[in-house]
Amino acid sequence: MPDPSYNELAQLYGLDPVPESVLRLTQLVARQNADLDEIANIISADPAISQRLLRTANPRAATEKDYEITTVEDALRHNGLGCVLLLAMGTPLSLALMKTFKTMLGLKLDGVNPKTVRPFLSEYVLGTINFSGKATGWVYLRLSIEGARLIAARVLGVDPEELKDRSEVDDAVGELLNIVAGNFKSHLCDAGLDSTLHTPIVTRTTRFTIDTPQGAGLEHMAFTAPDLKLFVDVMVNPWTQG
Amino acid sequence: MGTRILSVDDSHTIRLIVSRAFRDYDCQICEAANGEEGLAVAAREKPDLILLDVTMPVMDGVTMLTLLKADPVLKSIPVIMLTAESGRENVLAIARLGVRDYLVKPFKEELLVQKVGHIVPLQKKVVA
Repeated sequence: MPDPSYNELAQLYGLDPVPESVLRLTQLVARQNADLDEIANIISADPAISQRLLRTANPRAATEKDYEITTVEDALRHNGLGCVLLLAMGTPLSLALMKTFKTMLGLKLDGVNPKTVRPFLSEYVLGTINFSGKATGWVYLRLSIEGARLIAARVLGVDPEELKDRSEVDDAVGELLNIVAGNFKSHLCDAGLDSTLHTPIVTRTTRFTIDTPQGAGLEHMAFTAPDLKLFVDVMVNPWTQG
Repeated sequence: MGTRILSVDDSHTIRLIVSRAFRDYDCQICEAANGEEGLAVAAREKPDLILLDVTMPVMDGVTMLTLLKADPVLKSIPVIMLTAESGRENVLAIARLGVRDYLVKPFKEELLVQKVGHIVPLQKKVVA
């Protein structure tokens, strides 16, 4: 008997299929010799992705009138194709994060413009996880210490006051990050950028900077819920291997 | 003694969630934090079912599954993958090794219980 196809297994196991539009764009970008015009055509046909691309190409602009880079083609040349991977996968990533918080914490997250959210002024929790292979990258999750205690308490089904051990909080934050990054990495693999996910690291810090290699894409996202705000930053550098 | 379930996951949080999911059932949950420990616990405890993560330090879930299926004593233990890995190639490769079901994180506890209940008998605990 022949092996079942992925679609048959997805149906058998009840897995969510990857949206075709995401697959198409990511597979195109994952080809190292991808044609820029072909990619520009796909992006231009999608107003939401076009807007996000232009916004990331003009990070200092307060409004669209202030944009210095105004075409999809110029934005692609300016940002690099790594950015397109993030644009294509940004929505599935946001959805994975929101689904994770809804399913495991019962918390409804709202995606907001990161510029409208006040940064942390004191020590906060930083979760980092990286993947390596045909694509290399990092996913960062930042939230307050109180916020981390809140989500750990929710996921463990206890009162935040009952959490005496910092390792319980760190493990819960690390696992949430692992789930979100695992979903993201699965999309990368489906695009042909096979990568391996590494173990998450959770620390406390007051400083956060990201060094972005040439060709890498970087996207900042922010989410809020009652008594909680969190920042998610994703950096991906495609074609780092073979 | 109830149904014996082995939860293999490097996350203490996930192992706690698995224990919580089955707290109302006559189940004995044993735990392991990686594939190497998982094989040792499986050989010692002979569980009725294994819940297995993929990405773990020391030995990952795919390696553990491969070794489990090569072991004449342990190979018949049904395995449900419980992982954030949902990429097409990974799912196909893992399915070829022989798993009974696949549950992608994040997951609802009720769905986990439902999937386990389709493979092994689950009895609700009798409240005195």
